[in-house]
Amino acid sequence: MKRRRNSWVAMAAVMMLIVAACGGDGDATTTTASESAGGASAESFRIAIVAPSASNDLAFTQSIVDGVEAIRGERGNVQVAITDGTFNVDDAAAALRGYAEDGFDLVIAHGSQYGGSLQEIAPDFPDIAFAWGTAADTFGLSNVFAYEAASDEGGYVMGVMAAALSETDVVGVVGPIEVGDAKLYVDGFAAGVVAEEPATTVNINYTGSFSDVALASEAAQAHASASADVLTGTAQMVVGAVGVADELGMLWFGTQANQTSLAPEIVVASQVYRWEVILREILTNIDAGTLGGEAFVIDFDNGGLVIEYNDGYDLPADVRQKADDTIAGIIDGSITTG
Amino acid sequence: MSDFLTQTVLIATVASAIRLAVPLLLASLGETFGQRSGVLNLGVDGIMLLGAFGGYFTVLRTGNVWLGLLVGVLVGLVLGVASAVMAVTLQAEQGISGIGIFLFGLGLSDLLFQRLVGTPLPISSFPKLAVPGLSDIPVLGEMLFRHSVIVYIAFLGVPLSMFIINRTTFGMNIRAVGENPEAADSLGVSVTAVRYATVSIGGTLAGVAGAALAIDLGIFQQNLTNAAGFIAVALVYFGAWRPLGVMAGALLYGFVNALVLQFKTLGIIPRSWSDIAAMAPAIITILALVLVASRFRQPAALTKPFTRGA
Amino acid sequence: MPQTPMLEMKGIVKRFPGVLAADHVDFDVLPGEVHTLLGENGAGKSTLMNILYGLQEADEGEILLNGKPAEIHNPTDAIALGIGMIHQHFMLVDTLTVAENVALGLKSGRGALTDLDAVSARIEELAERYGLEIDPQALVWQLSVGQRQRLEIIKALYRDVHLLILDEPTAVLTPQEVDQLFVTLRQMTDDGRGLIFISHKLHEVLALSDRITVLRHGAVAGNTTSEGATRESLAEMMVGRQVKLAPDKPPVEIGPAALQIRGLTVISDRGIEAVSSLDLEVRTGEIFGIAGVSGNGQRELAQAIAGLQEAVAGSIHIDGQETTNLRPAEVRSRGLSYVSEARMREGVIGEFTVSENLLLIDHASEQFVNRGLFDFKAIRSHCEVLVGEYAVKTPTLDTPARNLSGGNIQKLIVARELAGSPKVLVVAQPTRGVDIGAAEYIHARLVDQRSENAAILMISEDLDEVFALSDRIAVMYEGQIIAVVKPGETTREEIGLMMAGVRPTDSRHG
Ligand SMILES: Nc1ncnc2c1ncn2[C@@H]1O[C@H](COP(=O)(O)OP(=O)(O)OP(=O)(O)O)[C@@H](O)[C@H]1O
Ligand SMILES: [Mg+2]
Repeated sequence: MKRRRNSWVAMAAVMMLIVAACGGDGDATTTTASESAGGASAESFRIAIVAPSASNDLAFTQSIVDGVEAIRGERGNVQVAITDGTFNVDDAAAALRGYAEDGFDLVIAHGSQYGGSLQEIAPDFPDIAFAWGTAADTFGLSNVFAYEAASDEGGYVMGVMAAALSETDVVGVVGPIEVGDAKLYVDGFAAGVVAEEPATTVNINYTGSFSDVALASEAAQAHASASADVLTGTAQMVVGAVGVADELGMLWFGTQANQTSLAPEIVVASQVYRWEVILREILTNIDAGTLGGEAFVIDFDNGGLVIEYNDGYDLPADVRQKADDTIAGIIDGSITTG
Repeated sequence: MSDFLTQTVLIATVASAIRLAVPLLLASLGETFGQRSGVLNLGVDGIMLLGAFGGYFTVLRTGNVWLGLLVGVLVGLVLGVASAVMAVTLQAEQGISGIGIFLFGLGLSDLLFQRLVGTPLPISSFPKLAVPGLSDIPVLGEMLFRHSVIVYIAFLGVPLSMFIINRTTFGMNIRAVGENPEAADSLGVSVTAVRYATVSIGGTLAGVAGAALAIDLGIFQQNLTNAAGFIAVALVYFGAWRPLGVMAGALLYGFVNALVLQFKTLGIIPRSWSDIAAMAPAIITILALVLVASRFRQPAALTKPFTRGA
Repeated sequence: MPQTPMLEMKGIVKRFPGVLAADHVDFDVLPGEVHTLLGENGAGKSTLMNILYGLQEADEGEILLNGKPAEIHNPTDAIALGIGMIHQHFMLVDTLTVAENVALGLKSGRGALTDLDAVSARIEELAERYGLEIDPQALVWQLSVGQRQRLEIIKALYRDVHLLILDEPTAVLTPQEVDQLFVTLRQMTDDGRGLIFISHKLHEVLALSDRITVLRHGAVAGNTTSEGATRESLAEMMVGRQVKLAPDKPPVEIGPAALQIRGLTVISDRGIEAVSSLDLEVRTGEIFGIAGVSGNGQRELAQAIAGLQEAVAGSIHIDGQETTNLRPAEVRSRGLSYVSEARMREGVIGEFTVSENLLLIDHASEQFVNRGLFDFKAIRSHCEVLVGEYAVKTPTLDTPARNLSGGNIQKLIVARELAGSPKVLVVAQPTRGVDIGAAEYIHARLVDQRSENAAILMISEDLDEVFALSDRIAVMYEGQIIAVVKPGETTREEIGLMMAGVRPTDSRHG
């Protein structure tokens, strides 16, 4: 009996050491990047990001990491710390609190699901600025900014192009769970399709998971068997669906990051988030002593949303023209995406 | 909506179910060996993740899917032996040491991916094989005999496992050790050797399952398996520790998933029900598991370490 | 010129926490002889044999085989040296077939594949030659206790061992089976094999042994030969005092039927009808003995009474109340106590301590619960009394039950079941594997229960016991009671024949 317990303790210790030495606490990984020249100076601005998936997921998490990196490029003197892979909310809460305790200047909770934790943590650190996205609510706290993307706008433009390109008049959507940014994007996409080609069918499949790549891949297969020839999808598990689209020769519209590298032949375009647009404003606020209380949105108008086209895909000029017209219409208000 | 369960949908659903079942089937066949000999390895998912990364990375670098699969085998074997050291030699509490292996695999696979790859890049998948003759059978041919090679490999594993467990001396030793290790030991069967072998087989097949998953999807991502390894462990109970039962469980799980996906795609399941429907496979499988498992007795020595003369 | 012993164990010492299980023991076996180890429960017999078979390592001492020092660290070493062991508790894999159990650990004639057809054929050969009837294809869990013991013997015969340890092999056999076994064993010694025999049945020891070594508290208490010993002298050597081998039975007034069984039919785990429309009545104040070869439905009968097996037809009444197919706890609450024959499996929880096991049944009873909490003081003193009265040899009350010697586990259960004052007591093999001293005590307790007007159904294959205790003897054969007789009006031979299926009326003809 005793022997068993002792050996288990020893084994557990070894295990912990290995995992710890590999730099992860359990599943989340923490990395710190500082401005290249001279390391951290006393006055450098310190930004922390806590995000659910991997920093290079070609989707949601990567978008914020890219945005913060852009700010670092602009301002120099910025230190960035990232804890990614915290799909477990409790781990995220611990990371958020940790960064606040470390005195970071801006702590970004990049995930709607972190709202509850942030609402508890932020009041304990009135001198620290927090940003929470994608969300519209600052909880009335003076040290929380909220940010979101008008991803319905990009979705709408993609929908217009998808309808124009579909030969079967069936397009498919692979979504995670019908909430937040995903819902905005998908609803915008469906509206765009119908606006362009009312007879086109939009099959929408929310798989129920942000992380099940195999299921997303099978959802794409299901769309194919329902004769869709154009697909889109949102959240990090779509990498599986992109692969299927590539294999079966369906077209793909990406969102949250440029997904061309996943399937250079069939990705038509991607909606890309330029969070730096609003991060800039948030930083200006913080520099001026305002630590929160405001909600920001990136959209076509402020340049936070852009459509990046895949040069490797030969998009017909008329479709490209339609997209540009639609963007112009959204900006001038003549088109509504809801 | 009228074409609900038309031929195309049916074919697509069954083919999809089979693809979804493959990683589960491979992993649970392996786990069956371990459990039949009395060792529960809850670390399957962690081994799958490392096998998945190893397979993915190899294919990414070499473009050779078979080399990728081989790396999955090797990674699985190493981790299988490591699991055996903990469960058999150190006699660690099996549930807890398994969770340790899972966390280790989850963390390390992600870390290696971030360090060595970074942004996910697609890789080539297994070649498809239309079985000559059989694949031309109407409906059935398309459902069953036009899959990637790994599918056939996985399903051939079922009769092979049955044969090993029921017809070989090794299989007889496995059954004896899982049921009454004292009796096996008293006849000179090495409980330790048998359990090392089975847990290593389990690890190897988990590694293969992971590699098969990553290569078939053509991509790797953090936590790619999404707990498939845990489902695989549950399926062993579901399958009453028999390869055929395990296969039935994997297919059932795959089928309910595939059906739900098809129904969602066709709008048969309204979108407002989507999230609830996503739980259907788990719920149905658990219900079936409870019904089936309550009828069969687990190997009597399951999770019990063996010490001679104790 | 003395023969070289095939086995010499010299100065063997083995310590367990709180027990010196082997205290400088010297023991040897000559080719072709039966050397018996005799001793009370917990004297250290099994421990000594486990050391010889490589299941436990001695702390001190050496083992010589044919004069040469032997290193035995595990059963594989022992098997390679031609040593076989039939263990006190079955070493069988329940979910495997008879043939698979025999083949386990042996090289197969077909390489990696099992060769069960060849094994089965050889089993049938051996079974035929030694009269050990068994179906090679049967699954072990379907076998009766007696058949399991036969399988253990076949396993050893199959391996053609030179030196065979038999740790209480006869505890579960009928007199005829014992005779048959002894013929088998004689055949083995005639071939020059050596046998080590352990048994608590003194007449068997006297019948079979060449030499006898008595252990007491782990040390050799004496040596003798069969010629120089009697049952009484052996018992005295073991226990260290004079022992009464048959209990005194005071006259008791026989009362109404407390256990009534009508038309009971029970299907066994194997799916066959194990008990067929059986009728019986046991009255208060009587011991109703059931003799029979194991596997003739005794187990199923007892289990059906206890609510552990379904009665597919018929009825059971305890003290006038119907208890057919009630749950075990409900049957107990109506006044039944049950000592199962499969004590290791059904009677104790090995991981639990001695005191926890003693409380398994009683734990809900008022006397140990004080305002919802266990009254540990009352529990302790209750357990101390039981352990003392039944001479359960245990280092402490907190020792896990599985660390006790076989006979002591036995006593533990009997102590627990006899502790209350049941209306109906069903006991199967009450003294199987129990030493003389403890058997004397258990018999006395059964007689006490009888005096207190319990109705006792005693299932036993030990005819001495059946004759000594029973007021009426029933013989069970193929699920039915084929005769009920008074002990004074029959003979052992007549009962033995009936156990083999010869009905009393037929016996006149044949
Ligand atoms: N694994 C063990 N751990 C601790 N004590 C043990 C262990 N095995 C046996 N003992 C103790 O050693 C003593 C000898 O036990 P052993 O089983 O050898 O007795 P035995 O002579 O075979 O008795 P029986 O006739 O009841 O089978 C007993 O007191 C027993 O409780
Ligand atoms: Mg013993």
